Amino acid sequence: MELLGYFLNALTPLNLGLALAGVVLGTIIGALPGLSATMAVAVLVPFTFAMEPASGLIALGAIYTGAIYGGAFAAILVNTPGTPSSIATTFDGYPMAQRGDGGLAVTLATLASVCGGLIGALALLFLAPPLARVALAFGPPEYFWLAVFGLTLIAALSVGNTLKGLIGACIGLLLSMVGVAVVGGDVRLTGNLPSFLGGIDVVSALIGLYCVPVILDLVATRAAHLKVPDSDKGYRLREAGGIAWASRFNVVRSSVIGTVVGILPGAGGSIAGLVSYTEARRSSPRSANFGKGEPDGVIATEAANNATVGGGFIPTLVLGIPGTPPDAIILGALLVQGIQIGPQLFTGEADIVYTFIFGLLIATVLMLPAGLLIGRYAYRSIISFPKSLLVPTIAFLTVVGSFAIHSSVHDVQVMFGLGVLGWVLNRYGFQASPIVLGLVLGQIAEQGFVQTYLIGNASGNLTGMYFGRPISIGIIAAALLSLCYPFYAEWRAKRKNTRPLTEIAIGAEGHPAETVVAPVRALPAARVPDTGALVAAVMFIAVGALALMDTGGMSAMGSVFPRAISILLIALSLLMGVLALTGRGVRATPPEPAATARRRTVLGAIFGLWVLAIPLLGFAASGLIAFLTMMVVAEHDRQPMAVWVRRTVIAVGVVGAFWLLMSRLLMLRMPAGLLF
Amino acid sequence: MTIKCTFAAAAAMALATALPASAQTADEFPSKAITYILPFDPGGESDIAARFQQAVWNAHTGHDVIIQYQPGAGGAQAWSQLNDIAGDGYTVMGINLPHTILQPLEGNAGYTTEDLTPIHYFHYTPNAIFVPSDSEFETLQQLVDHATANPGMVTLAGSGSKSANNLGQLEFDQAAGITTTYVPFSGTGPSITAVLGNQTTGGFNYATSAMAQGDALRMLAVASEERMPAFPDVPTFTELGFEIVGGAYRGIAVPASTPEDIRQRLSDIVSEINADPEFVTRMEEGGFVLTDIPYDEMPEFVAQMTEEYSAGAAALGIGE
Repeated sequence: MELLGYFLNALTPLNLGLALAGVVLGTIIGALPGLSATMAVAVLVPFTFAMEPASGLIALGAIYTGAIYGGAFAAILVNTPGTPSSIATTFDGYPMAQRGDGGLAVTLATLASVCGGLIGALALLFLAPPLARVALAFGPPEYFWLAVFGLTLIAALSVGNTLKGLIGACIGLLLSMVGVAVVGGDVRLTGNLPSFLGGIDVVSALIGLYCVPVILDLVATRAAHLKVPDSDKGYRLREAGGIAWASRFNVVRSSVIGTVVGILPGAGGSIAGLVSYTEARRSSPRSANFGKGEPDGVIATEAANNATVGGGFIPTLVLGIPGTPPDAIILGALLVQGIQIGPQLFTGEADIVYTFIFGLLIATVLMLPAGLLIGRYAYRSIISFPKSLLVPTIAFLTVVGSFAIHSSVHDVQVMFGLGVLGWVLNRYGFQASPIVLGLVLGQIAEQGFVQTYLIGNASGNLTGMYFGRPISIGIIAAALLSLCYPFYAEWRAKRKNTRPLTEIAIGAEGHPAETVVAPVRALPAARVPDTGALVAAVMFIAVGALALMDTGGMSAMGSVFPRAISILLIALSLLMGVLALTGRGVRATPPEPAATARRRTVLGAIFGLWVLAIPLLGFAASGLIAFLTMMVVAEHDRQPMAVWVRRTVIAVGVVGAFWLLMSRLLMLRMPAGLLF
Repeated sequence: MTIKCTFAAAAAMALATALPASAQTADEFPSKAITYILPFDPGGESDIAARFQQAVWNAHTGHDVIIQYQPGAGGAQAWSQLNDIAGDGYTVMGINLPHTILQPLEGNAGYTTEDLTPIHYFHYTPNAIFVPSDSEFETLQQLVDHATANPGMVTLAGSGSKSANNLGQLEFDQAAGITTTYVPFSGTGPSITAVLGNQTTGGFNYATSAMAQGDALRMLAVASEERMPAFPDVPTFTELGFEIVGGAYRGIAVPASTPEDIRQRLSDIVSEINADPEFVTRMEEGGFVLTDIPYDEMPEFVAQMTEEYSAGAAALGIGE
């Protein structure tokens, strides 16, 4: 009965208005890669000082949950996770959008996010104190194995090309170790450049690795960015509802995984999404379709990442230990209001806490209409924009996003550098996702590993520390299962001499949409050496050797992990080299003829000059110049003058709007340079 | 590429500084909101203290302060860029000791201690040793006895390697003639979680954690000079016969190009806030110890700290 009273408190017009405004603002911020909930929440905290504590918290919580959800838009429509939480959304969301199901994917993501958010918030409402113990039961070994579990996804993502997947993961792991090490304090792999002390920012790497290749390929061809369905079917809410209902078990399982991972401080939405994606893929009868536009993949990730919002508040409110950076800011806001955190919070300050939790629930529900409308608008803009506007807009957004993280041009340059690297590696058959997984999970894996070693060594029971703890054993079992299952499934299909899984999946009952099955490439008859793979192998061996040299004189704590990874990288590259020499390896698809590549080269050059010119010319000036030049390069046909004038106006509008958003709303320091 | 950029940035900077600064007298300062950059993730001691300042900042200056986070390399990433920021007083940055002494000693931090311009050190969090409340150790002596009998077996969680916590743990080992195993975590939050969850024997953290966690933790000793008002029952290390006083100081720094009168004015504002009863209550309830080291006392203070911490750094094997 008391709870009902708190529910009514949350329903005041002011609180409802704040929840709606928060969700809308959060969704937009989250949809723009690089602009994060942390940034928005940090700037808005002072405004909540003047409000009732509960109202202020509702506004902040709504922004946070909206931002986690909004990340799905960019993931689905431009293959770039808007926040790290939606990394796994790109795996199936973007292929869906490419084949014309973008609207459906956005609606599915909305439904899944709302369900996940509700389950997470309900867990916070009813189970917070007991669930908080989960955070304490997870020690260093469990974090280590959780990261390893996340890495097993690589086996599934790169079926048929596991070797290149593993090499990509090693590169990602090495990238994650750049900078000052948390354990040991050594300065590693920076090449003596102070700007790399802070390491490679995950978000700028995400933007570069996922988005720059999309931009480069977009400009090279005449074809539309996304396939537009013949008849626009609107929200496709009924269809999406049917799919979500059919996979309700997936929704619930993913939400529960998301809630539990959210409770773990430092794990966060990206791991929750990856873990539940792995689980969804393993247990699905259509597992071969994952990565090719399987709706269940989008559902699993989006349900899980929004469940982490409620889950993350559990340790924040019960233990005073924030699960994520936005949680930490909200915790600070609570302290400023004079509210003491801890188990007594749920009894002593019940009115504030429960009003806040109900506010979060209401905000999550509001996400449905707000998200559908914003998503619809975003989808329509993306499919109706001409290429000559789409290319510079996306490019500008990558620069905006990577700059906003630290107000630093260095991050923009890293973003572009990694993007070009990602594009080149992709040509040789190395996907971006294993690199990203290595980068995201590397720090957690390394810290867990070294801490486990230190504690195990001190207690004289190393084996028991790594392999003997109940939760660890459970995670190891799950990791082994997800590692071996794809191979087992393919083997079984072959042995029974039946059709490959992909074909079975299409025939499966209730399969929602037509799936494009990649044609099986015929292997070249003659076994000729594969020069591309050979060059790559030599390059990676050199990288591994450099990393070994760099970590030579460091403390054991700081060097054990990078050295192990470097040796693994060298070994794997040697294997690939031998296979390539004998012509046995898996070949990358041959590149297209050189004629289409010219626009791409020019665009790449403009992009490169742009990221160098930002500190010289100023953010807005360089952005505008680059925008206009890219606009011309991206246009394949002749257009009348009026069209160019209109587009120029739009260019000025886009650059100006973002400059204002960043410098005035988010209060970022913009590089002024010579012009503006 | 990066060399080119550094050059470009330097050129742009030179040009920006050559332009005449707009007339701004210290009396009218501030006339708009100030950006307060914290070189860490939100949620740590720096963040909480800054949020407490933020809550009363407007009442003292008539304008807001906006907090932003630029974490990286234990703070070094932001500090190495501090002097690139325009020195008009409207962008300030949190600054910490011993971080800004130990990092340059280690080398390759991208800045030196002298590059930074602190204008006020406003508080201090002493180191303290914690065990979970269900631990077998009721007193520091019990823990020391256990560690003496079992060298290396006592594990202590702390925030970061070669940090204030790590330095404190090493000094404790030396003073007590024992060997403990220090387990570095990525911040106070994760290391306290490990202590609460019984993953380690205890933790070498800041006294503020005792306030945040309440009954779940037992503070065995605190490395302040005198007992803290918030914890009258917790003995100091000195009382127990171990000569350890230390922790982390936090303050505010400005870009080197900031004019003298603006530096002084900012220092005065921070001093004024340090005397605000509401702020004092919040800070003391939170387990922070207020210090009042204004701009004019800064050179002396930094010199003294540099001397003290350099000795400690030698023990950590820093700067060899």
